[in-house]
Amino acid sequence: MKEQRSQSNRFSSGNNRMVSLEKIVFGITRILTYIILFCACFIFWDIISKGSRKLFTDDGFINWSFLSQSPQTLHVIEHNGEISKLSSDEYFKFKEELSDSAWDELNTRDEFTKVQKRLKANLVAATEVTSNELQKSLLTSFIQDEQTEATEKFNYWMELLENASSHAPDFQVSSEDIPYLVGRFILSFLDQTKLKYSLLETELSFFQALHYPKIDHLSSQSIQKIKLAYFNLLEEHLHKIWEAYIAEKKNLKENINDFLQSPSSTSFSTLESQIIAYMENPLLLKESSANLWEAITADLQWIGSEHRIEVPSKDYAYSGGGIFPAIAGTILLVGGAMLIALVLGVCCAIFLSEYGKSGKFLSLVRLSILNLAGVPSIIFGLFGMGLFVIFLDWNVSIIAGWFTLAFMVLPIVITASEESLRSIPKGFRESSLALGSTKWTMIRTSVLPYAMPGILTSAILGVARVAGETAPIMFTAAFAMRSELPWEGLEHWTDFFFQGVMALPYHIYVISKIPQNEYTVDMQYGTALVFLILVFLLASLSFIIRSRLRRKFNW
Amino acid sequence: MIKGKKAFTYPVAIDVKDLSFSYGKTEVLSSISLQILQNQVTSFIGPSGCGKSTLLRCFNRMNELIEHAKITQGSVLINELDIYEKSIDPIELRKRIGMVFQNSNPFPKTIYQNVAYGLKIQGLKNKRKIDEIVEDSLQKAALWDEVKDRLNENAYELSGGQQQRLCIARTLAVQPEIILMDEPCSSLDPVATARVEELIFNLKQEYTIVIVTHNMQQAGRISDLTAFFYLGKLIEFDETKKIFINPKMQQTEDYISGKFG
Ligand SMILES: Nc1ncnc2c1ncn2[C@@H]1O[C@H](COP(=O)(O)OP(=O)(O)OP(=O)(O)O)[C@@H](O)[C@H]1O
Ligand SMILES: [Mg+2]
Repeated sequence: MKEQRSQSNRFSSGNNRMVSLEKIVFGITRILTYIILFCACFIFWDIISKGSRKLFTDDGFINWSFLSQSPQTLHVIEHNGEISKLSSDEYFKFKEELSDSAWDELNTRDEFTKVQKRLKANLVAATEVTSNELQKSLLTSFIQDEQTEATEKFNYWMELLENASSHAPDFQVSSEDIPYLVGRFILSFLDQTKLKYSLLETELSFFQALHYPKIDHLSSQSIQKIKLAYFNLLEEHLHKIWEAYIAEKKNLKENINDFLQSPSSTSFSTLESQIIAYMENPLLLKESSANLWEAITADLQWIGSEHRIEVPSKDYAYSGGGIFPAIAGTILLVGGAMLIALVLGVCCAIFLSEYGKSGKFLSLVRLSILNLAGVPSIIFGLFGMGLFVIFLDWNVSIIAGWFTLAFMVLPIVITASEESLRSIPKGFRESSLALGSTKWTMIRTSVLPYAMPGILTSAILGVARVAGETAPIMFTAAFAMRSELPWEGLEHWTDFFFQGVMALPYHIYVISKIPQNEYTVDMQYGTALVFLILVFLLASLSFIIRSRLRRKFNW
Repeated sequence: MIKGKKAFTYPVAIDVKDLSFSYGKTEVLSSISLQILQNQVTSFIGPSGCGKSTLLRCFNRMNELIEHAKITQGSVLINELDIYEKSIDPIELRKRIGMVFQNSNPFPKTIYQNVAYGLKIQGLKNKRKIDEIVEDSLQKAALWDEVKDRLNENAYELSGGQQQRLCIARTLAVQPEIILMDEPCSSLDPVATARVEELIFNLKQEYTIVIVTHNMQQAGRISDLTAFFYLGKLIEFDETKKIFINPKMQQTEDYISGKFG
């Protein structure tokens, strides 16, 4: 009976081994898929759960300050038994407020009123005593002193050079090495003066560069020439030092006036730092009013120490503020790179699929493009640095990053564009040509428009992939920290392209490198989440473009 | 056919002289010589793969787009000019020799844009002129009444037969002198076929027409002259009546009566 049935039903499950194999294959593929799914979910969950701590406020709203501010140092302070997290801006404001209230308190003390009075009188006196004529004569004598000192030095070096053999033992070198030694002396002397006259730094560097070849082939004559040139330089630029002095003095006077009119903690701090800078200038120290200034400094110090309240804080770099410059930088980098990759890639694809005759050369080109896709991203970074940053001298800039990223996306764009172009029916090309169009007209009117959805989709997806790369931009375009936005403070519109920007992936990298703590982790995941959302938006955009255009050019 | 005038007295439009053609090393046309006459319908018949389309595409130099394809011998004269000479611009040539392809292939644009395409690429900008030509071409292609209210719809919303007529209208719009048609009715139903045939018959007044067809009845109905090809060779070329009623060659008779092919 059973026998009969299996014979009559030819579709009955006869081979049990095949069936169980089938089940095993099904099970394995299914389990593996679930494992992958689990891993993906874990990654997303990890980023979303940790990132949303930063991206959303405690009451569930979007944390706009995170999206709109620049990165700042986070200051965690304990004040009156309360722990608060403040960004740098907030921290300094808070300290200012504290000092202000301390200032008010100080005002009630008699001692303070006395000191303040004395300080004011001294300030007025100091600014009146130091007349410009006096200062000018002081400056001239200063320069003269300098020249005397320099003359002595130069004379000594000339002497050294002329009697090299007798001086050699003093320096424990052979007499042939003496000219070299003298050259070093001159160079280090010039370096010192550069430090002394920081105003003349450019001129002195130029001077150094100009005389460097002569320093290499020293003779007492050439030293004489250098000496004369050096004195000329100093005299020529005397007025520059003078103007700078006048400007600084004017500035100081204004600050003093501010303080005299409205003494407050803020105007005091400004004045204090100004005076400290003024005192440090070597050209301005030798004044007849020196003891006046000393008294002023002492009073300044006293007031400062009395009213300034230190708020000890633990500082965590980059953990405060927001990431707006990085968001803007990434969008700029990605947009520009995509545009460049599209133009270059589509041109190349058009050549490969429409103009190129099939042959060894073309398959070689295709092969190398495909291989380009396998090159590690750090190599692209080094390539970009070598070619764009150094050779073309674009420095670390948006435009260098654009081209580097564009070259990375190119293989994807070219391959996908070529495929899209090939998928356009032959009939469109033939009928266009048969109607009397040139090849380019044919491509422009009846191939490219229909291939565009595919090309755009692939380009966007490709660029979304490289948008997260750190290596290619870290030498070419990315700054670890730059709070200025790319469109701010441009002198000329072309400067826009030649400035570095912050970027999200690089920001994540930078934060990961500094010592980890609870605050940097939040920042890191918050940044990662924002980046994830950006990429998601890009992918949706490509999807929308594709479906829109597909509906329009439907064949 | 047209009474009172014998077909062979018309002037020669295309003169094919001893033409051989090959794709790479395989020769697909060998020593073809025939003359297409003005304002006549010439049909090419023959089994699949015998080279009809290839010969047709030799007339507007579409073959040179295919790699390794070349004419190995002979020449094609149109209006007594060798079209394969260097001085001939294939773009200009194709403007004067229209072609309707085997598969209808309108562009995925509106009906209007499809017909206006040829004019636009030639740089015609005058909107009124274009409108005029578009209407005129659609009229000639017997499509105007069906589409006049939906000119801005996508051409792919038309039926297969309408699409084929749209392609014909598109070809007519650039005002060619000769129209080459490669199996224009291959995917059409009998009613649509009848309409296209009627259209061809009307177009004959103004144009010279060469048509490739696998439909013997169709060749008999619409053409004045018929050429029969077999394995890349021209077997017989004569007035349609003679070919169908009294062929000279045995192969022709076999093919027409359906013994092979
Ligand atoms: N692009 C090409 N490359 C190589 N060989 C081709 C190409 N096109 C056609 N051939 C060959 O040339 C020969 C003639 O082709 P052709 O298209 O002219 O035939 P046909 O007569 O039009 O056939 P059908 O009636 O099926 O359209 C065929 O053997 C075909 O295989
Ligand atoms: Mg054919």
